[in-house]
Amino acid sequence: MFYLSIFFQYAAQYLKTRMTYRGDLVVEIFSDLLFQAVNLIFILVVFGHTALLAGWSREEIIFIYGFFLVPYAIFSAFFNIWDFNDRYIVKGEMDRVLTRPIHSLFQIIIERMELESLFGVITGLAIMFYAGSQLGLELSWYDPFVFILMVIGGAFIYAGIFICLASISFWSDSKTDIMPMMYNIGNYGRYPVDIYNNVIRFVLTWILPFAFVGVYPAAFFLGRTEWYTYAFLTPVMGVVFLSIAYFLWNAGVKRYRGAGN
Amino acid sequence: MNVIEVNKLRKEFKSYSSRSGLKGAFRDLFTRNYKVLRAVDDISLQIKEGEMVGYIGENGAGKSTTIKMLTGILTPTAGEVRVNGMDPHREREKFVRTIGVVFGQRSQLWWDIAVQESFRLLKKVYKVSDEDYNTHMKEVIETLEIEPLLDKPVRKLSLGQRMRCELAAALIHNPPLLFLDEPTIGLDVLVKMKIRAFLKEINKKYKTTILLTTHDLADIEALCDRVVLLDEGKIIYDGRLDELQKNWVEGKQVHFEFQELVEVSSLEELSKDFDVKWRPGERKNQWVATVEGDDDAVSRLMSQVMLKHAISDVKINQVSTEEIIRNIYEEGIIHG
Repeated sequence: MFYLSIFFQYAAQYLKTRMTYRGDLVVEIFSDLLFQAVNLIFILVVFGHTALLAGWSREEIIFIYGFFLVPYAIFSAFFNIWDFNDRYIVKGEMDRVLTRPIHSLFQIIIERMELESLFGVITGLAIMFYAGSQLGLELSWYDPFVFILMVIGGAFIYAGIFICLASISFWSDSKTDIMPMMYNIGNYGRYPVDIYNNVIRFVLTWILPFAFVGVYPAAFFLGRTEWYTYAFLTPVMGVVFLSIAYFLWNAGVKRYRGAGN
Repeated sequence: MNVIEVNKLRKEFKSYSSRSGLKGAFRDLFTRNYKVLRAVDDISLQIKEGEMVGYIGENGAGKSTTIKMLTGILTPTAGEVRVNGMDPHREREKFVRTIGVVFGQRSQLWWDIAVQESFRLLKKVYKVSDEDYNTHMKEVIETLEIEPLLDKPVRKLSLGQRMRCELAAALIHNPPLLFLDEPTIGLDVLVKMKIRAFLKEINKKYKTTILLTTHDLADIEALCDRVVLLDEGKIIYDGRLDELQKNWVEGKQVHFEFQELVEVSSLEELSKDFDVKWRPGERKNQWVATVEGDDDAVSRLMSQVMLKHAISDVKINQVSTEEIIRNIYEEGIIHG
């Protein structure tokens, strides 16, 4: 309860600050939209050359992309702590965080949130509805609930991976350029895993399980029964990865060396 | 009751030293030379409720590292720490509710938002009731004279203004223990004095225990009865500030500036009844006498000398704390 109320306090403060820079906000949302449009065009270009991609149609791939945008938006809004090393370890902001009576990871999440990224949820839903109607998909009463579960699972996986990466900063104080690479690998999850070779498929399923953020859960809504087992593993994987990240973080905080001053 | 109880506290940092040259860099890739640096070396310390303690040492002596262990930021390598009856690192979230921290070089406040918004957020974070906040903070705000700054964003404040707000922010939950790491760094004399007066007041009123590190020894002189001197991670002195002065000051220095040339021999002849050492001063016709003994001896010597030689200027110097501490670090031992 306390954490929830603190979250809303920070969110209110965040919105207040953002509102004062309205122009900035509009530009940011617009550039996000543009980025998503480019990705869509890429899919269309690919399907200008072929009708099926390993048995998946154009609309199905677009649907997967739409689904992917939703957990990704939640991740970007709350767990996008790619600059953790630079900002908190090198500049020593972690000192301040550790003198406050709230869990350090939670503090960093609420300090770094970017609520405007949640706009991606709307874009994602719109894309899914468009592709779904093209495919003639029908909505059952339980679909929204399953959807929420899958989205949370997907966002947790993304969050888990990035928190693990951020935790590495506690052990090695040198800057790593691993973050941009991760964004790239994350994008692989938007496409059906059967188009990749087995090694990449294994990595995307069990090591860096980005496939659980896009193709696996989306397969459930597309009625692709052969992927159902994986689809229902999504929330499990989410909880597992976030837990690993949480333990790694706590272990890291114990090793925190502080910035010299 | 001891607010801070530290027993054989130690903190080691492991760092690797890189070899020189390109060839050395390649070798570093495979095997590294690790070096263990002991930043804090088995220190023991007790601080009682209501004490104001000055924690001093040169850069890199381990001051900040100690403070960071006492506030729960760093985990000790070995030793025991109990602060406010808790283990700072293990019970961090519960523990930090009972302390206030000001790092002079780092801001606790949110850069972009108004000072009062920062206060409001911190009030929620520390779960301070409206009632407590209103009575307690009203006073703090008045004493620190920050009322007119409350609606300004932190980035628009001057350093002195910001520092006073930082101090107020650290006191929102009225903590019984306050850690101040270089709270007056870079501030002008007026602001410094304001901050000192304020610290004295809260110490008297709430019996707030204060541990202070600073490079400005005037802060320590104005505030602390007790000083802890740190050198290379070890405590080299822990005791009253006036004891330190008493043990170190070897009498007083009197600077005489004479109107004409004066020989040492004549001065020595004049002062043969006193325990005195003469040395030439920096200026022409200036002589410095270091007198052992009480104030009476000093005045008698002065009258003797002035009877015989015409002087243009005379000055009595007491050895400053700064000088004492510089001496201690240069010689590395405490005598007396």
